[in-house]
Amino acid sequence: MPTFETVTLPELVAFDADQFDALPFGAVGFTSDDIVELYNATESRLAGLPRDSVVGAPYFAVTAQCMNNFMVAQRFADEPELDVIIDYVLTLRMRPTRVRLRLLKKSDVSLRFLLIER
Amino acid sequence: MLTDLEAENTALLQFLYACPTGLIEFAADGTVGMANPIAMQLLLPISGAPFVTNLFEALSSCAPDLRNLLDAFEPGHGTVCEGHRIFVGGGKGRATVLACTIVKMSAERYIATLGDISKQVVQERRLKEAETWFASLLDGIDDVAVMSLDEAGRIDAVTPSILRQTALAPENLIGLPLEAIERPDAVSSAPSVGEALVTAQRDGWHLYEGWHVHGTCERYWCQRLVTVRHDQDGEGGQLGYTVVLRAVTRQGRDATELRNLLTRDHLTGAGNRAHFFEMAERELARFRRYATGFAIVAMDIDHFKRINDTEGHAAGDAVLQELTRRCKAELRPQDTFARLGGEEFGILLPGGSLDEAVRIAERVRRVVSEVPFAFGGKGLSVTASFGCVAPETSGQALANLMASADEALYRAKHGGRDQVAIAGRNRAAA
Repeated sequence: MPTFETVTLPELVAFDADQFDALPFGAVGFTSDDIVELYNATESRLAGLPRDSVVGAPYFAVTAQCMNNFMVAQRFADEPELDVIIDYVLTLRMRPTRVRLRLLKKSDVSLRFLLIER
Repeated sequence: MLTDLEAENTALLQFLYACPTGLIEFAADGTVGMANPIAMQLLLPISGAPFVTNLFEALSSCAPDLRNLLDAFEPGHGTVCEGHRIFVGGGKGRATVLACTIVKMSAERYIATLGDISKQVVQERRLKEAETWFASLLDGIDDVAVMSLDEAGRIDAVTPSILRQTALAPENLIGLPLEAIERPDAVSSAPSVGEALVTAQRDGWHLYEGWHVHGTCERYWCQRLVTVRHDQDGEGGQLGYTVVLRAVTRQGRDATELRNLLTRDHLTGAGNRAHFFEMAERELARFRRYATGFAIVAMDIDHFKRINDTEGHAAGDAVLQELTRRCKAELRPQDTFARLGGEEFGILLPGGSLDEAVRIAERVRRVVSEVPFAFGGKGLSVTASFGCVAPETSGQALANLMASADEALYRAKHGGRDQVAIAGRNRAAA
């Protein structure tokens, strides 16, 4: 199974629903205009939000406001390609939690991905 | 299928995730229990650390007196502060001013809200100035002079009373720019006339209060209001400006109290962070316009945590207070001595060169280290480290200057503490 550090963006796009849900880390795929298309079961469980309530809604503007800043959302907007891992803090179910984020964006893939590892 | 309870839980979580105000639950020692995303978004850039676990630590650089506020609150529960303003100072991704409300639930449980009120504060300040001006229009005034300026800012009419304030005859002033009568006291940081006209054009008026040099070379407290004048029906273009100069002998006590509240650190009575940055920005603007130099000294008490840990917070507080007293005694009235963070202070020296800054830092270093600080019947040895900087080019931003001062301060610390280092030079000064 690909890990948080090794999984590639084409692999993420190619996974079927079960494979995507089975990833041991949170994974969110969203469009260039911030709309969530993919939201895996791991992330749903950790954030306490059912998939239905997240998919189709703006990600940084509505669901993940704590990443709607220059450290995360702005980088997706500014940088043509991204594959970086950063340390971050999320308030999952209002508990400040240390996480690692992996920001993935390629100019020839329309979906961008955010991976979240606790 | 979601059960009702799960659905409600989801709705609650979404409500809290999306709440546009920061919410934090914390313990008496500042440990954060719960926080919503906005709270973290506000706190993380301020704390400078990758993780926030303690509210007091996260805010120590800009609201070091938060802990004192909580300590001073004796009731078992109730509102500790409402809309308490925390001046953060701008920076990448940071708010400038936060409003913080804290409610004590029990001895061990507090709830705080945090909101970004940067824009509101700027507006309020201008409203407050207007209010002060109009409310005190007839209070304690010695003398009023009124001038009219044309659209280009040149004087086209003055009242005879101008002679008393400026010692310049009205007839000699016609046709001159406003700068001709502008004699701000050399040591004060007045905004320039140009700045006043630009602001007046934007907002309709500009008010400034400060020391001016009297015609007879005495200092006097002058309030200067610049308003934009339009033609009668108010629809046509701008015709010029009206300038009112008021000499005031007695400053209202309320104004002084308000000023103290807004500009001083709660615990030590030193200037606060907001005041320091405001004065420094003003000096920087003067430097850019008139090339009048200034210098900044960053100062940090050595091993302060050790004092707090071994002698208790009360000892730490006493040291901060006594240190403020000693430092202020070494400085000129026009210098600004301010508490920038927990044990971190800043000295702003208008008109000072880098060499002077080093001399003053050295003097302050000695008055801190040479005599132990009395607390609880014993003497605590306290030392501090210093980093000095002066602007070199007009393009330098204040944030860069502060970073250079901090870098020098870091070298002073690294070089063994209790010493003064200079920005950009590789050796400690003393």
